[in-house]
Amino acid sequence: MLPVRSSSESSWARTRQFLLSHGFEIVLVLVVLFYTVSAPRFLTATNIIGLLHAAAPLMAIAAGLTLVVMMGKLDISVGSTAFLTTSVGTLLMVRQGVDPLLTLLIVLALGALIGALNGFIVVVLRINPLITTLGTMIGLRGIGLELTKSTNISLPEDVRRLGNATIGPIFVDILIALAIMAIIHLIHRRTAFGRQIMAIGNDADTAARLGVRVPRVTFLAFVLCGLLAAIGGVLTVVQVGAVSGSIGSGLEFTAVSVIVIGGISLFGGEGSILPGALRGVLMLEIIRNGLNHLGADPYAYRFVNGAIIFIAMYADSLRAQVPVETHAFESEEVSAQPRTQSP
Amino acid sequence: MVNPYLTMQGITKRFPGVTALQDVSFQAYPGEAMALIGANGAGKSTLMNVLGGVIRADSGEIQIDGARVEIDSPLSATANGIAFVHQEMAMLPTMTVAENLHISQFPTRGGLINTSETDRRSAEVLRRMGCQFTPDTRVQFLSTGDRQMVEIARALLTHPRIVIFDEPTSSLTSREKARLFEVIRSLKTEGVTIIYITHFLDEVFQICERATVLRGGETVGSGMLKDLTPNAIVQMMIGDIGIEVHRKRETAATAEPILGVSSLSRKGALRDVSFTLHKGEVLGLWGLLGSGRTEVARAVIGLDPIDSGQVEVRTDGAGMRPIKPGQAQRWIGMITEDRRSEGLLLSMSVKNNMSLANLRGLANRWLLVRGDEETRQAQEFVDRLNIIISSLRQPVGTLSGGNQQKVVVGRWLQVSPPIIIMDEPTRGLDVGAKAEIRNIILELAEAGKGVLVISSELEEMMALCHRYLVMNRGQIVRELPGTASRNELMAAAAGVDFMEDR
Repeated sequence: MLPVRSSSESSWARTRQFLLSHGFEIVLVLVVLFYTVSAPRFLTATNIIGLLHAAAPLMAIAAGLTLVVMMGKLDISVGSTAFLTTSVGTLLMVRQGVDPLLTLLIVLALGALIGALNGFIVVVLRINPLITTLGTMIGLRGIGLELTKSTNISLPEDVRRLGNATIGPIFVDILIALAIMAIIHLIHRRTAFGRQIMAIGNDADTAARLGVRVPRVTFLAFVLCGLLAAIGGVLTVVQVGAVSGSIGSGLEFTAVSVIVIGGISLFGGEGSILPGALRGVLMLEIIRNGLNHLGADPYAYRFVNGAIIFIAMYADSLRAQVPVETHAFESEEVSAQPRTQSP
Repeated sequence: MVNPYLTMQGITKRFPGVTALQDVSFQAYPGEAMALIGANGAGKSTLMNVLGGVIRADSGEIQIDGARVEIDSPLSATANGIAFVHQEMAMLPTMTVAENLHISQFPTRGGLINTSETDRRSAEVLRRMGCQFTPDTRVQFLSTGDRQMVEIARALLTHPRIVIFDEPTSSLTSREKARLFEVIRSLKTEGVTIIYITHFLDEVFQICERATVLRGGETVGSGMLKDLTPNAIVQMMIGDIGIEVHRKRETAATAEPILGVSSLSRKGALRDVSFTLHKGEVLGLWGLLGSGRTEVARAVIGLDPIDSGQVEVRTDGAGMRPIKPGQAQRWIGMITEDRRSEGLLLSMSVKNNMSLANLRGLANRWLLVRGDEETRQAQEFVDRLNIIISSLRQPVGTLSGGNQQKVVVGRWLQVSPPIIIMDEPTRGLDVGAKAEIRNIILELAEAGKGVLVISSELEEMMALCHRYLVMNRGQIVRELPGTASRNELMAAAAGVDFMEDR
């Protein structure tokens, strides 16, 4: 049988609680410290701006995907959506000479349409979201590759220049990405739609019983996710200056890992865009950027990425094990006291 | 003579194969609580679902305040001032109380949620109910009783004129129950019409003015409670069948111990719990809700970790042997208090549910389950326990509560462990099913098993137990003999030393 726990146990428990609730900040500080010491050019304004520039597309895509994940669902077609929509856009501009601004609108509409397709399959045909978007992920990339004949197609010169547009020292796409995150955050926190996403993430049946129009909310979340995937695609392609078959490839899994690292539960109902999803993006991008500075093997990045995901998931599961309350003989007294929300 | 605020007349509802309601009439009066009583399957829920707009009656009419109304959806029920407090709570644990209250109807301003208005409305209804928690508390940090208050607050948000309470006290402690009754009383003084569905007759007499009894989809009686006795109501509920009196058999338990628990402790839940269960004995763990009864059972069979203590069982040979927490289920069968979420796989068949604990016993030498043997054993216990099913392939979720519980019992009888723990074995069952389950428990003891019973119903404990352990705040505070009186038991559970005149 287990020994009786001594009093030092409780101070360890407190330490553990602290580590678990501030684990992200601790790791972030350690990582930044490590890179700062070992790579002199890591902590410079230029590098930080470059890092955010590189992270901008992921911010947009992760913001949209987070909404879906918060419902306890998944959309792994975001990478293919980014690829197909931008392929169509590039072809329209290059082959048909369509005006860039009109093209942008078409690209965004197409993204929303793909989201609507996913939403339709999930909501109306009642097919599991993972299977649904696995199908569209494969299918959409196929269409894109067919359209582009898997060749690189450069953007028109005047559009390509936008990739390096800055306001002062800051790249414009950083501002766009941050604005998108702020807007999605507002939608999540302060609209009925956003709150109902969380309700569905808690339990779809309960939400339905409470009068939430679950199909409608689910559908809209997928539409928004598709739209934001298209935006992420546009940001990527404009940065790169061309579409190629590898655009957005693997992006869905990067986005999922970012979301997990950001503390958003894959079971739904838990997490935030700000700071959650944003800090996930930053963490991953900092690690990638730092490894570059260290001249690490490019393949090492995947390994480290994998390790980080495991650590994040493990921390999450540890957090879930810490009892929120002892529900034994307290109910008579304790229930009368207000409880405050944990951070 | 007050006019009824609500009148339902000639309500008939047929489902394929069954007539759920046959020409039912029902009246409820303003400022009064009307108890709606009936055994399981009597039609209470169907009738209230008609009123709540969840289902439509085939015929009949509903009048509110003298005017005929059409209620064809939950929304139109709400529009007619009807609110339904469901038995199963609909909670969103990771969200705040305010969000739980307003999730389908947030007040907005310019497209965004008006949080100050949301909080104000929430705070107002919580204050009205005397709740101590704030609207920004996350529901996952609330006790069951407080969650029930949130459930009720949600109903009151629309300022209803009729409030239906469906079994509101089944998960409440006595203090929480008192708070609920206060809320109901204050609603009554505001002239609200209350409809109160329950199995507990004592509550009916405590909080209601009138009662309507349903049986087999028909109204069998209705009247002022001051003119009725509990016995008269029970008679109406079960009809011509005489009330079976349960009395524990006088087969005294043997002195042979079969389960020994010593100094079981778990921080925040259990303190130094020790007891012995004998062969052929029904031992009752008695105490108020939250006194640690369920925690003892869970700790004994290793569902919860323990900080210290030891569990011993009599294994096949002679003598007692200490066991590791993970092994307990080889000797101890546990029937949990929440059969729907912990005890049964609702979408699976009766047969598969019954063989679940016995898959190893049913396996052939290639480790594959012998299907014919599985069927044979399932059929045997279906017959023995008199489980009413259409086929062994019927999904368990479609059975009535009593039959579901018998499936759980049947599962453990298949493996026939020497020790059985039953946590609230008859909760939510109707009078007849309760009696059957209780008889099974007594038979088990007679067959030489050791049975540990946990129940919130004093009558049930008194009908079953040879001996009581009284729990309070995670400790066993007293042991009482099977002859203990009702008053002694109540007093001991409340932590009062009670001396009857002897």
